[in-house]
Amino acid sequence: MPYRIFFESIAVSRRILIELARMRRSLVFWVIFPTLMLLLFGTMYAGGKHPGTSFDHTAPGILVGAALFFSCLGGTVSTIAAERERRTLRRLLLSPLSPASYFLGIVVAYLVIALAQTVIVYGIALGFGGHFQGNWLLGLAIIGLCVFSYVGLGFFFGARFARRTEDVNGPVASFGVPLLVLGGTFFPVALLPENLLMLAQADPVFHMNQALKGVWAEGKTLVEVLPNLMFLAGFAVLALWLGIRSYRAMLSQEKSA
Amino acid sequence: MNILEIRGVNKSFDGKLVLDGLSFSVAPGEIYGLLGPNGSGKTTTINILCSLLAADSGTTRVMGTDSGDERKRLIGFAPQEISIYRDLTCAENLDFFSRLYGLSSQQRRERVSELIEAFHLGEYANTCVGNLSGGWQRRINIAVAQVHAPRLLILDEPTAGLDIEARHELWQLIQRLHQSGIGILLTTHHLEEAELLCSRIGIVRNGHIAREGTLAELRDSIPAQQLAMVEAGDEEAVSARAREHGWEVRRYGGKPTLWLPRIFSLAELVEVFAGISVTSMALKPVGLEHIYLEVTGAGYTV
Repeated sequence: MPYRIFFESIAVSRRILIELARMRRSLVFWVIFPTLMLLLFGTMYAGGKHPGTSFDHTAPGILVGAALFFSCLGGTVSTIAAERERRTLRRLLLSPLSPASYFLGIVVAYLVIALAQTVIVYGIALGFGGHFQGNWLLGLAIIGLCVFSYVGLGFFFGARFARRTEDVNGPVASFGVPLLVLGGTFFPVALLPENLLMLAQADPVFHMNQALKGVWAEGKTLVEVLPNLMFLAGFAVLALWLGIRSYRAMLSQEKSA
Repeated sequence: MNILEIRGVNKSFDGKLVLDGLSFSVAPGEIYGLLGPNGSGKTTTINILCSLLAADSGTTRVMGTDSGDERKRLIGFAPQEISIYRDLTCAENLDFFSRLYGLSSQQRRERVSELIEAFHLGEYANTCVGNLSGGWQRRINIAVAQVHAPRLLILDEPTAGLDIEARHELWQLIQRLHQSGIGILLTTHHLEEAELLCSRIGIVRNGHIAREGTLAELRDSIPAQQLAMVEAGDEEAVSARAREHGWEVRRYGGKPTLWLPRIFSLAELVEVFAGISVTSMALKPVGLEHIYLEVTGAGYTV
């Protein structure tokens, strides 16, 4: 069974990556958007001084909020909406593909995208004088948790709210962008008033930013970012549960369609 | 052993009976045409066969098994909609679906080559499906249903929306598939397609098979050997004369058509309508269309 799930997941992720490679426009935008945001905010916060330190602190937020958010969450919602719209989901239902393999396949595909985006964002940050420090494995683990959380949420929004590809922007923008702002993606959370800061503690993007910034910009250890990691792990489990539940409900609908 | 056996299947939705004791079978090497008007239960039948829906009662067996998981490997289903990945090439679509059925790397290579050859897709093997015409997309849609070499192939309106040329090419393809010995269950609204391709035909009405048999058996099931279209200024006089001879009269597309109990010559027919001002007269063999209209109740008696 695990052997079967492994091969089915690889088949799904391979297919998604081939499709994405053919849709060059999406890939280009997934690069342009975080690049511009990084350059803009990195330069803005530097204020003419210490551009390197500024890029150190801007890169994690831009990676988590501007890059992974749109590729992994937006991309998952698009993938699911497209499967429904093109009726390929129904064809997958007729095949022996298990829902777990399908889910894992999407996670693997977006992990690959996430790694590529990490290389690009940090490549640019380093190019502008940023520094990379801390445990790279721990950072990658945080990115992995971000991808799991985003894909889980993507399944939830995709299965519940996006019947057509045109429906994708609505849920992503309505629910996602406020989370990004509150989570400190574009502005430091120090600017938030006390009540919003309390609210931010419940925002997964806040913990993603704090954890990645702590490890890769400030060289914090596992123990130091453990509270953020615990929250993220819990949220990833919740997102996966929500995603799987919504996906199952969607499959039941598709079966009787 | 029959490839497919459906016995006494019932299915209701919200208290409305959609399948009412549906029973039929498909033998190896047979193309079985399942015909019926929209809403007669054809799609529900396919969904039950593909384990997408559960029947309320009755049995459905594919190669003797009623297990949903095993059935997935025995059935290939080509839906009416083109449900393949448009941004993948033909070869990539075949490869992707063969992976889902657990084919090894070598098996996949062989199977993809076989299908590309069998479906004459060579020229377009490396073209993205979205860039192909409707006819070629239909081919690949059917080819994908064949990646795991199923014993029963379900084709749901395989030529819907195709031009005449593409339809004829697809018919040839289906006939070639048939020669490979698999069972094919075909639903279609093109009755000429069913006439040409199907070994046996079942006409569904109100959720059960109202009539079934080979085309010859179906023809024998109605009391007409031949049809006569007689146009006259006074249609009522034509109908009255026909009834005097004990012939049934139907209206197809608003035109009165006479059911002749034996083969008539045109001269004999002219004699029958002597004295009536007839403007045109034509004889026609009984087609599946006429049997279908009779069974589904859509052929109007004058």
